[in-house]
Amino acid sequence: MSREGQKLDYAAAGGNGAGGVGIGVLSLDLLGQVLDRLREPRDRKACRLVSRAFERAEATHRRALRVLRREPLPRLLRAFPSLERLDLSACASLDDASLSAAIAAAGAGGLAGLRRVCLARASGVGWRGLEALVAACPRLEAVDLSHCVGAGDREVAALAAAAGLRELRLDKCLAVTDMGLAKVVVGCPRLEKLSVKWCREISDIGIDLLAKKCPELRSLNISYLKVGNGSLRSISTLEKLEELAMVGCSCIDDEGLELLSKGTDSLQSVDVSRCDHVTYQGLASLIDGRKFLQKLHAADCLHEIGQRFVSKLATLKETLTALKLDGLEVSDSLLQAIGEGCNKLVEIGLSKCSGVTDEGISSLVARCSDLRTIDLTCCNLITNNALDSIADNCKMLECLRLESCSLINEKGLERIANCCPNLKEIDLTDCGVNDAALQHLAKCSELRTLKLGLCSSISDKGIAFISSNCGNLVELDLYRCNSITDDGLAALVNGCKKIKLLNLCYCNKITDSGLGHLGSLEELTNLELRCLVRITGIGISSIATGCKSLIELDLKRCYSVDDAGLGALARNAFNLRQLTISYCQVTGLGLCHLLSSLRCLQDIKMVHLSWVSIEGFEIALRAACGRLKKLKMLNGLKTVLSPELLQMLHACGCRIRWVDKPLVYKDC
Amino acid sequence: MASGTATNADPDQQTVRSNSVEQFYFPRPGQSLPGIPPFFGPPSSSLYLANDNEAKVGNQLEPNPSQSTDWDPQAIVSNLTFLEQKIKQVKDVVQSMSNRENQVASGSCEVAAKQQLITADLTSIIIQLITTAGSLLPSMKNPLSSNPAVRQLSNTLGSPMGFGVNANQRPSVDSKTDIPDIGKASGYEELINSLNTTQDERDELIKGPNPCGGEGSEPTPMEDHDVKESDDGDHEGENLPPGSYVVLQLEKEEILAPHTHFCLICGKGFKRDANLRMHMRGHGDEYKTAAALAKPTRDSGSDHAPVTRYSCPFVGCKRNKEHKKFQPLKTILCVKNHYKRSHCDKSYTCSRCNTKKFSVIADLKTHEKHCGRDKWLCSCGTTFSRKDKLFGHVALFQGHTPALPMDDVKRKRRERLFWTAVGGLNWNCGASSRVEDGEINEEVEP
Repeated sequence: MSREGQKLDYAAAGGNGAGGVGIGVLSLDLLGQVLDRLREPRDRKACRLVSRAFERAEATHRRALRVLRREPLPRLLRAFPSLERLDLSACASLDDASLSAAIAAAGAGGLAGLRRVCLARASGVGWRGLEALVAACPRLEAVDLSHCVGAGDREVAALAAAAGLRELRLDKCLAVTDMGLAKVVVGCPRLEKLSVKWCREISDIGIDLLAKKCPELRSLNISYLKVGNGSLRSISTLEKLEELAMVGCSCIDDEGLELLSKGTDSLQSVDVSRCDHVTYQGLASLIDGRKFLQKLHAADCLHEIGQRFVSKLATLKETLTALKLDGLEVSDSLLQAIGEGCNKLVEIGLSKCSGVTDEGISSLVARCSDLRTIDLTCCNLITNNALDSIADNCKMLECLRLESCSLINEKGLERIANCCPNLKEIDLTDCGVNDAALQHLAKCSELRTLKLGLCSSISDKGIAFISSNCGNLVELDLYRCNSITDDGLAALVNGCKKIKLLNLCYCNKITDSGLGHLGSLEELTNLELRCLVRITGIGISSIATGCKSLIELDLKRCYSVDDAGLGALARNAFNLRQLTISYCQVTGLGLCHLLSSLRCLQDIKMVHLSWVSIEGFEIALRAACGRLKKLKMLNGLKTVLSPELLQMLHACGCRIRWVDKPLVYKDC
Repeated sequence: MASGTATNADPDQQTVRSNSVEQFYFPRPGQSLPGIPPFFGPPSSSLYLANDNEAKVGNQLEPNPSQSTDWDPQAIVSNLTFLEQKIKQVKDVVQSMSNRENQVASGSCEVAAKQQLITADLTSIIIQLITTAGSLLPSMKNPLSSNPAVRQLSNTLGSPMGFGVNANQRPSVDSKTDIPDIGKASGYEELINSLNTTQDERDELIKGPNPCGGEGSEPTPMEDHDVKESDDGDHEGENLPPGSYVVLQLEKEEILAPHTHFCLICGKGFKRDANLRMHMRGHGDEYKTAAALAKPTRDSGSDHAPVTRYSCPFVGCKRNKEHKKFQPLKTILCVKNHYKRSHCDKSYTCSRCNTKKFSVIADLKTHEKHCGRDKWLCSCGTTFSRKDKLFGHVALFQGHTPALPMDDVKRKRRERLFWTAVGGLNWNCGASSRVEDGEINEEVEP
């Protein structure tokens, strides 16, 4: 709990103890203001639990709610009548019936103020639930239905009844066709943001109607659609369009970009990554029409760049802030031209570009002092000299990705650490850096993300350096840093209390006592412990009891983890949503216990559980049936599990990935 | 329907009609058709007179539609008598004019101007007639084929004033107001007769000259015949200057007869190619050679045949050569399809939907291929065979939205039924109940 939360807690408790004076005398409005300033959810919860005044204030004041389970949903909707944002994306076993019931329980005016609803991955919700939701929320402005892979035209048609809708995300709603899109664009003419990424059934016809019916559109994502140049002709008629993403649209080519360039000048951001048929010629004609282009993403689509493109790029001198050219074969002269042409660049992506040299980088950064993000992933020719020039010129640097740049070492990183105090993210995966490099990097106290995967020379000492100064670290990747032992983890948790994502895969010196240290990371949400063969149920139990926020846990190939570990998870890890227990030594009993207890568990990978009988799988899966959304199992089970169970899982919106491998018996 | 009548009855289209021979042939500069005598002067053939008599009979029958019991005969009769009087007035004017015309050289500008004046008069009469007949129109619509009186009236509307003026038997004025079928039929007959050298063909040719009787038995639907205009094989781009081609006008009997062989010179149709070849002999000695009479060599004659275009016999139709903006039809097949589509009953009904009707059997077959497969449905109830058509419709009309096919709903309902069936199975292990007691879980986060 944060310090401010604790203070408030004391005040509230003390106030009540002193006979009603204190927090209780403040108006609800003021208390609401106080609550608004609390950033951590657990602080809010503490306040709510300790003081009735705060509870009342929160009830009237709360605007946003993220619900994790289905059961309390009706009560919560009643308790917070002035909600504006509702996030149901993590709500386990939510289906039409429960959603409708909750909405009905909230009463007529209960959800009148609701503006944004997130239903991402809520695959159990169908058109009935959506119809009820839209009917109850007259002011609905934004809906996120992404990754509801079963959602189709009828679901989208239910949303079309929300005439005030401005934002809609339909990413990977695989069954949505032109018909569904037409329903939405006719029903919601004020749409400003729309994403239909991966809706592969949508064609030019649908996009054309969209362009005709939604003139207010500002942001559009048509990535991975099978649409062609005709769509771009329609899109070019949208006068307010600012952002256009068309990643992986292989039917679009230069002709389409030329059509697009004939539209209005409002376009600010274009993403043509992975569009195989787009060349620099098309981009040049696009730039020609856009004097205000700010972001241009052309990753993995260009093979060469001609002079025409470079000269057009120079016309965007004043505006262009982000440029991504991943996968391109570049030359020093090109990088120099970019550096001279685009002085205002904030972000440059040169990931997997061949031909990036120290000279190229130094001429690029010489004129671009505003750069904050530099992606040099797999530019494996660069050395410390490039880092020196970056450090000298880009004082504002926040993010530096150097994966697989194995020629760099601690000297270059020292310059970076000394000159770029704002560094927040650095990726040194497979760079072979050592403890000395970490000693230098520890100077960057703002560091949030540190990726050190495959740097096997890093030891506990290096971790101790990081822990000593980087208290804000949120993400740490120590994949295959197999010199790290329990002592390193002890040092880590001493300094970096805010870690949320931790990867310790294949650090096989770690034992249960190391996991015992991790138990003090209260904010840890994602933990990967793949192939830590020494850890057992004891270590898992200390994590389960300590890391209350744990959402994702990977225990694949932790051969010593048994039912005791699953039991500990079942009793304590209530927020656990994703779990991998492939190859673990668990039995049917442990699995049943786990699946029936964890009410938030939605995604479980359980391949090669050689100790679990068919009945064990059957009963465990029946126990968790309504909640599971993703399941990974051995193909052999497909025929032996009862068809009713599989049908039931399917009906609840659960997708099963069958792994076609022979069952492996692993004896310890 | 009324508008269709009005266009059909537009007298302006008839004013430019010239002599009946010229209807068949616009000679190119410096070219004349040998063997066709000019057809000026009063008709002398007995056939023609017989026709005219029949026309008169038709005229007398005309204002007596009292056999029908659908409407008040008295009112109609009085209206028609009134009209008759008016027509008579115009007739007198025309007569006086034609007397003068006989003295002055025909075809002068002055006469043309007078003709225009008369046309204006006629127009007013027609308008009056239409308004008079207005009450009848609804009854004419459906039972066209079953009610002979109404059919007759509709024919009159289709070729207005034809009988009345024709009764004067003055061929020069006839050009203005003649009922087209008579004029053309007689002209046609004359042409054929002049060409005809063999007696044995007469019996086949005689079939043609009674168009008036055919008029009575052949219904003329008053429909907007512009619908399929573009489908009649005409190419709008083709801009043959008038006069650079021969215009043939087939009679409706020819058009509707199941002929497959047509004379390229006069357009007459035959069931058998052999008969056509026999007919061709009448067009000149070059068709009499053994080679021309042999089976495949017919095209040797067509090599030097003039460019031929076709006119629809329906007066007032844009495809009729009297129309101001006459657009000729290119082939005989085009004529056939055009005439059937535009001026005939739609007698073929789709057996699937029982609503769509067609006059050309090929159209029916095309429709039947797609009938019932209009799966693209709009919220307004309109169905489309293609998605892009539906989307075009939706884009055009505010508030219209595609309707989703209902099988989707059925699938979901099945799923739900399944759910209620399995819903009872709430498998839970004993351990879970213990956990549910504690309020440990953090349900809410901002």
